[in-house]
Amino acid sequence: MTHDVDPKLLEILVCPLTHTTLRYDRTAQELISDKAKLAFPIRDGIPIMLVDEARPLEDKEIKKAR
Amino acid sequence: MTQNREQNKANGTANPEQEWFGERNVSATEKTKLVQGVFDSVADKYDLMNDVMSGGVHRLWKDRLIRMIRPRPHLRYLDVAGGTGDISFRIRKKVGDDARITLCDLDEQMLRVGRDRSIDQGMMGQFEWITGNAESLPLPDNSVDVYTIAFGLRNVTRIDTALREAARVLAPGGRFFCLEFSHVTDPGLAKIYDEYSYRVIPKMGEMIAKDRDSYQYLVESIRKMPKQQELVDRMLKAGFLRAKYTNLSYGLVAIHEGLVL
Repeated sequence: MTHDVDPKLLEILVCPLTHTTLRYDRTAQELISDKAKLAFPIRDGIPIMLVDEARPLEDKEIKKAR
Repeated sequence: MTQNREQNKANGTANPEQEWFGERNVSATEKTKLVQGVFDSVADKYDLMNDVMSGGVHRLWKDRLIRMIRPRPHLRYLDVAGGTGDISFRIRKKVGDDARITLCDLDEQMLRVGRDRSIDQGMMGQFEWITGNAESLPLPDNSVDVYTIAFGLRNVTRIDTALREAARVLAPGGRFFCLEFSHVTDPGLAKIYDEYSYRVIPKMGEMIAKDRDSYQYLVESIRKMPKQQELVDRMLKAGFLRAKYTNLSYGLVAIHEGLVL
């Protein structure tokens, strides 16, 4: 059985390092912290909010704060 | 890491457990990985083992925790080290639909078992599941009303950091509850319990979960848990008010509670 991430959860999650809001990349199934320059994976609907498991962002992926 | 060392200097004795894995000395990073490994390994047999090891009594301890929380609707619950769902499911049964219940666990595998159990028990979609570290929670300040950690704090690498983090996410008026193995107060009983835990539990782990080492760690980690009053003092240091504890089963386990204003 596959699971989608709970939309309510996306509203409350923040980056565990910087406590800033996250961007949801549906295609990549990642939650992106522009401030920490990390992408946290979502596996089987469960966000993995561990710094050790996050993918470091490349410069071109980072969106500046508006 | 440097930040942590500075914190240690500032607090004198913060996080003394960070380099103990049971009775072995390891680095803090290694400890977190080892704890993850333990729960990855035992996730499938975790509920069964709890019943076997405690003769089912862990259910009574958890029921007692829920009575102390007195869960009400319209609140936001965070169940840290919530794993296979024992605490969250009990809260959901008390409060009905109108409450947000989030489970956060270091180990993904424990959450998967928990989510499957929630489906088996007809509670699909009633919980939010997050893999996260109690020392750096992925939640905003003041976003939680009731924080629970049951049989989890003992395994946290930096206990004082986790306590401060709990105080951060709790909203004013928010309450903290920790159910954890503690220290038996009666010396005679302590001796019997020691024998049981050192001789019997690793053997049971070997037979049922096919994993002696993880249960050897369990027994050792219980010894390393701060004593009842010490944990109260460390809660106060972390910013909790009215910190106190209640012994259950002669101190075999204890419930610590505190308030944030």
